[in-house]
Amino acid sequence: MTTETIPQAPAPVQSRGNRKQARRNTLIGWTFILPNFLGFLAFTLIPVVAAFALSFMEWSSFSAPKWIGLANFERMFASDSFWIALRNTVVYALGHVPLTMALALLLAMLLNRKLKGIGFFRVAIFFPYITSLVAVAVVWNMLFSPDSGPINQFLGAIGIANPPGWTSSSDWAMPAVIITSVWRDMGYYMVLYLAGLQAIPTELYEAAEVDGASAWQRFWNVTIPSLRPTTFFVVVMLTVSSFKVFDLIVVMTNGGPGRSTTVLSQLIYQEGIGEGKFGYSSAISLVLFIIVLTVTVLQFKIQQRRER
Amino acid sequence: MTNMAEDLKATHVTDAASSPSGAPSAEDRRRTDRKRSPREQKKRTANMVIYGVLVVLVVALMVPFIWMLSSSLKENNQVLTVPIQWIPQEFVWSNYTDIWTRIPMMGYLQNSLYLAVIITCLQVLTGSLAAYGFSKVRFPGRDVLFLAYIGTIAVPWQAYMVPQYIMMQNLGLTNSFNALILLQAFGAFGVFLMRQYYMTIPDELCEAARIDGLSEYGIWARVILPLSKPALASLALLTFVNTWNDYMGPFIYLTSNRLWTVQLGLRSFVGQFDAEYAMIMTGSVISVIPILIIFLIGQRYFIQGIATSGMKG
Amino acid sequence: MKRTTLAAIALAVTAGLGLTGCAGAAGPAEPQAAEGKTRLTVSVWNYEGTPEFKALFDSYEAANPNIDIEPVDILADDYPQKVTTMLAGGDTTDVLTMKNVIDYSRYANNGQLQEINDVVDKVGKDNLAGTDAFNIDGKYFAAPYRQDFWLLYYNKDLFKAAGIEDPKDLTWEKYTEIAKKLSTEADGKKTYGTYHHIWRSVVQAIAAAQNGADQNSGDYGFMEDQYNTALDLQKSGATLDFGTAKSQKTSYRTMFESGQAAMMPMGTWYIAGILQAKKDGKTNVNWGLAPMPQKNDDGKVTTFGSPTAFAVNKNATHSDEAKKFIEWAAGEEGAKAISKIGVVPALQNDAITAEYFKLDGMPTDELSKKAFTPDTTELEMPVSDKSAATDKILNQEHDLVMVGERSVSDGIAEMGKRVTSEVLGK
Repeated sequence: MTTETIPQAPAPVQSRGNRKQARRNTLIGWTFILPNFLGFLAFTLIPVVAAFALSFMEWSSFSAPKWIGLANFERMFASDSFWIALRNTVVYALGHVPLTMALALLLAMLLNRKLKGIGFFRVAIFFPYITSLVAVAVVWNMLFSPDSGPINQFLGAIGIANPPGWTSSSDWAMPAVIITSVWRDMGYYMVLYLAGLQAIPTELYEAAEVDGASAWQRFWNVTIPSLRPTTFFVVVMLTVSSFKVFDLIVVMTNGGPGRSTTVLSQLIYQEGIGEGKFGYSSAISLVLFIIVLTVTVLQFKIQQRRER
Repeated sequence: MTNMAEDLKATHVTDAASSPSGAPSAEDRRRTDRKRSPREQKKRTANMVIYGVLVVLVVALMVPFIWMLSSSLKENNQVLTVPIQWIPQEFVWSNYTDIWTRIPMMGYLQNSLYLAVIITCLQVLTGSLAAYGFSKVRFPGRDVLFLAYIGTIAVPWQAYMVPQYIMMQNLGLTNSFNALILLQAFGAFGVFLMRQYYMTIPDELCEAARIDGLSEYGIWARVILPLSKPALASLALLTFVNTWNDYMGPFIYLTSNRLWTVQLGLRSFVGQFDAEYAMIMTGSVISVIPILIIFLIGQRYFIQGIATSGMKG
Repeated sequence: MKRTTLAAIALAVTAGLGLTGCAGAAGPAEPQAAEGKTRLTVSVWNYEGTPEFKALFDSYEAANPNIDIEPVDILADDYPQKVTTMLAGGDTTDVLTMKNVIDYSRYANNGQLQEINDVVDKVGKDNLAGTDAFNIDGKYFAAPYRQDFWLLYYNKDLFKAAGIEDPKDLTWEKYTEIAKKLSTEADGKKTYGTYHHIWRSVVQAIAAAQNGADQNSGDYGFMEDQYNTALDLQKSGATLDFGTAKSQKTSYRTMFESGQAAMMPMGTWYIAGILQAKKDGKTNVNWGLAPMPQKNDDGKVTTFGSPTAFAVNKNATHSDEAKKFIEWAAGEEGAKAISKIGVVPALQNDAITAEYFKLDGMPTDELSKKAFTPDTTELEMPVSDKSAATDKILNQEHDLVMVGERSVSDGIAEMGKRVTSEVLGK
């Protein structure tokens, strides 16, 4: 089976590889990348680098920045709020990433077929993502309501004596937020998986069927390996967006009760534009960036090894 | 497979009778090849189950949207009641006529559409070009550059918003659509998405085209692009939705009321101490419609599979 | 075939709209000042929804034909964030409206505002409520034109139905007692004796004002009684519980206007809102005003409030004109212009109060008038560079006490501990 999974990609260029060819390739590669790269460099990369430089300074945005070395980092590592927000962010990511990914893939498989009205169902799955956040927050908070909410009534009916307090409890607010965010985002990632599923050559399934593979085996040995590039994208984007989660939490719990759902990007927002400590907020962003980059590079390496 | 019209036709042929000339999916082929009745029976039952699952799912997913719809038909002081009220006491249809005069909704819709269309087009074009460079051409430093792209996605915008604004102000670009277009059209998202999709397209296809004498640009335009329609569609769709729903970017960069987008217009119903939620929900319902149209157009491209064998031959 | 047609139509519509979008984008040009007029720019929030700005600008333009005021309209939600960003970019808007004193202290302390002592002197420090808040080492960088303070709204019909006399000279004990009496449940519809909105000020700022305490001090023992009162009301069902109010984003307007709450401590800004709602026939609540309940029963009324002020941007294009405008807006003329639409001006004297109660729909009983002239109005939050950070911590801990995760004494201790270590840096 495994020999038939993905067509192995030979390195077309290196096989011919002489120096001139390499230089020509570099040139060609850059001409492809350049239109996007120029815009990216000027309007994203430079400001990002500027922000990172600010993390070693004190800056209120009104006057010239002042170099203070590592003071921002010292303050950050000594701050309770930072560690609480970091922990919350990691917990959120650990819940949000795998759940959303699994459900998005499941939905994509379910909807990747020809059925009457499939277009309607695909749109419907995408609806949570385009529903007003206020509506999402109000309705989900109602569902989670500790005494009268349908979720707790259901839990009571199946014999759970002490149902959780959800958004009005420090321990359960984060799970409530994760559930809501998975519900909201799965349609978004389903769209990506749908596109990924289209790229799987149909011959692979046919060959597998001829070999007598069961549906489960086809899924495990054809679909999953063929979707690897899409999965890499989905995992990275999900990780990144989990570490940057902001809007949903602000509208749903605003970080509360207490600090139980406060996340890093909220801290960055409050400290920076809220209180005018731009140096400090940049320092937190730098840490966030390093964490996410580490995770991404790891995933990148794993993916590359698998491809070989 | 190189021009769109032909391709649309092909889709329809597939749709209608899964003709051998089209590119039938595995599902279809099974259906046409073996018309044994128990198999058919089983298939039908399976379909019924799938429909059942889908209907339940859709209801669960639509609940907040239904609340939004219901709230858009209420008086403002009836929206956030305790306990929650699903059916308005009286239907205030006038919300849907009032909103056009309360705020210049038509102008806001046009502004949003203008931004979303331009940003989407640029993102799809530059993103798919750059993705080709990152996936099908090998050159030194490629992967490092690529990681830099992904890395910046990880930096929250709140962190570099002010430096970016100062830069834009110095370039004289603030308070104009150009600022937003320049900021959002060259994001890393599209590059990354398209690169991942191109990775799944076998390199043999490019190799064969090279042997046929196509230049790299020719391969991109005539081989890769036509094959990546599902990915292009999903990129366009997601970029459109994200631009359409963006609030913070337009808020910071568009000061004049005549430049405002729908999302800003809706927020103008939020006051210092309270908000007009009925109007906000009305506007939200209206602003969903263009997204639905785009989605219905875009999702049509999710129904064809690639037949690599035909290509190789 | 059908699908292609659909797609074609949709594409055509999109393209059409996109093109008109282009036209819309080119749109009408930026409004320019007419010949010989000076164009004064003023940053405001939610211009359409905040009629006081239009009232002020129209009157000022009528009185000064050579001035053209152009509002820089910013969404109310994130007003300070946008102003901060604009100023960082060197924006030249002439007049900046200070939404609250916390932002004022940041802008002023960072040298973003011009000193306007002469303007404040001309209007008269003593006549302007809340001017003290803007005093930074003897310098004023802004002048208040509006001063909202807190009082008690009540539903006269519900009081009558329960046979309770109007809420005169209330102490917190008395208030709790009648709130419990006023709570009823009929046909599954609950009426609450009072409604406490989720803002921390409802408990903390009033406690600070009536105890003469400082919310930046790091010692919060003074809040204990007030928390006990609030929690007692909540536990007995005399007010909607905090968790529900917060998660359901309960609107205080809905609670009061639909008769679900018999009383409600709230700021004076709501007067204009309720007048409008009644005029539009959206509510028929028979309302009155009473002074805030007090800690002591010595007959003195202490409440809290927050002023709104105009300041001159350091980079203003027209500094002199900006100062003249502020002098006018904070003075008698400006006060009259905004009291006409139900907004409480910072400048307070009998003439203006009398004018205010002439408003159509305003309750005119003695109690309402008394409510309007509290003896002392403390600041909601002191002006200090520590206020923003303290505010955040007090908010977070307030949540925990109100949902019952922390006892009052633990909550207060935690507030003190966090403010001391994170803000005061001791």
